[in-house]
Amino acid sequence: MAKTTHFGYKEVDVEKKQGLVKGVFDSVAGKYDLMNDVMSMGTHRLWKNYTIASSNVKEGDHVLDIAGGTGDLAIKFRKKVGPEGKVILSDINDSMLLEGRKNLLNHGVIDVDFVQANAESLPFEDNFFDCVSIAFGLRNVTHKDAALKQMHRVLKKGGTLLILEFSKVENKTLEKIYDLYSFNLIPKFGEFFANDEDSYQYLAESIRKHPNQETLKNMVLDAGFEFCEYHNLTGGIVALHKAIKA
Amino acid sequence: MFRLTIEKSLNHLINANNIDLNHIDNKIVSFRVDEIDLTLFFLCLNSRIFVIDNQQNKKVDVSVTLTKSSFVAIFNGASLEELVENDEIEINGSVNTAQQLANLLSSSSIDIEELISQYAGDIVAHQIGRAFRQIKKASVGNNDSIINTIKDEINTVLIAPSRSKIFKGRA
Repeated sequence: MAKTTHFGYKEVDVEKKQGLVKGVFDSVAGKYDLMNDVMSMGTHRLWKNYTIASSNVKEGDHVLDIAGGTGDLAIKFRKKVGPEGKVILSDINDSMLLEGRKNLLNHGVIDVDFVQANAESLPFEDNFFDCVSIAFGLRNVTHKDAALKQMHRVLKKGGTLLILEFSKVENKTLEKIYDLYSFNLIPKFGEFFANDEDSYQYLAESIRKHPNQETLKNMVLDAGFEFCEYHNLTGGIVALHKAIKA
Repeated sequence: MFRLTIEKSLNHLINANNIDLNHIDNKIVSFRVDEIDLTLFFLCLNSRIFVIDNQQNKKVDVSVTLTKSSFVAIFNGASLEELVENDEIEINGSVNTAQQLANLLSSSSIDIEELISQYAGDIVAHQIGRAFRQIKKASVGNNDSIINTIKDEINTVLIAPSRSKIFKGRA
């Protein structure tokens, strides 16, 4: 296994990446939702709504939201699964879980379980969930292959995996505008709103290092999923990969 | 979006009516409409339907090849056996399995003409759908099959269009 990996554009020891990512999210947790709204101009809400619409989740289902952060998806899943269903919000970062708990309480949602867990070693039994989601989280996982295999393991037959993540912009002109925006404005927004330019510089860099749509699709299939397809959103700035365990 | 709309409508129907899908569980049924280069793969698993593109080329249990008008007709309740007898569609695999899925499609509230027109950029689908709905409505309440009603309607259109239910009120 490789001894170094990327942390944004930097090469770091594999063992150090998790701690560095934790540092980023400890720093941004308090302003996470505000920054998402600012950076995406609110579009992240539409991307998440599309994810929920694609989930096929119904009453009584068991749903795991990995890297669930402030709980946007968990709140929507909770409504869909009804009183008989179960939603677990997991995140490796305790600061994000704390923000998630506050956010859910503010929305009047109390029946979601919180689990601090590493996506590479999920503490759940095999074949338990009808849906596993990870929104803007896979990019920060050190060993993505291991995490995808874990997601496959915990899903039931017929379960759905949803990966919402930044991806490769399709149109060259849009790509140039997007590059200018993300490398020049986003770190400045980070400095202005969250007093943290470095974390948002990491965000822009980590997006470019993340596998493109086709590569990620093949990684999902290699992890054991029988079906996988992706839908580009906002010209490929974000892609939703939907996979089925058959 | 085309597939997502159909998938959501079918699963809403299944959940709202607690429909048992055991008879088509773990089956893949494909519908191919050559005219608009559309292929839909319906996969039934975990008591729900997935409408997929099957780029992974998994083995299909039943494949249905049909014309655009037959595709619309299925959503409006046409029997697959009758469409087969009239050489309007071709089915490879279990007709019964395909019919189970067709029953779901016809019970759903999907506006297939609208979807096709968006998919194909074509208003002809609207006209086909409208005509078929009128024919279906006309066939309710008597013992004639939908296919016989279509045949009668075609004869009327060819011989005396002004008497046709399709054109009634549009002159």
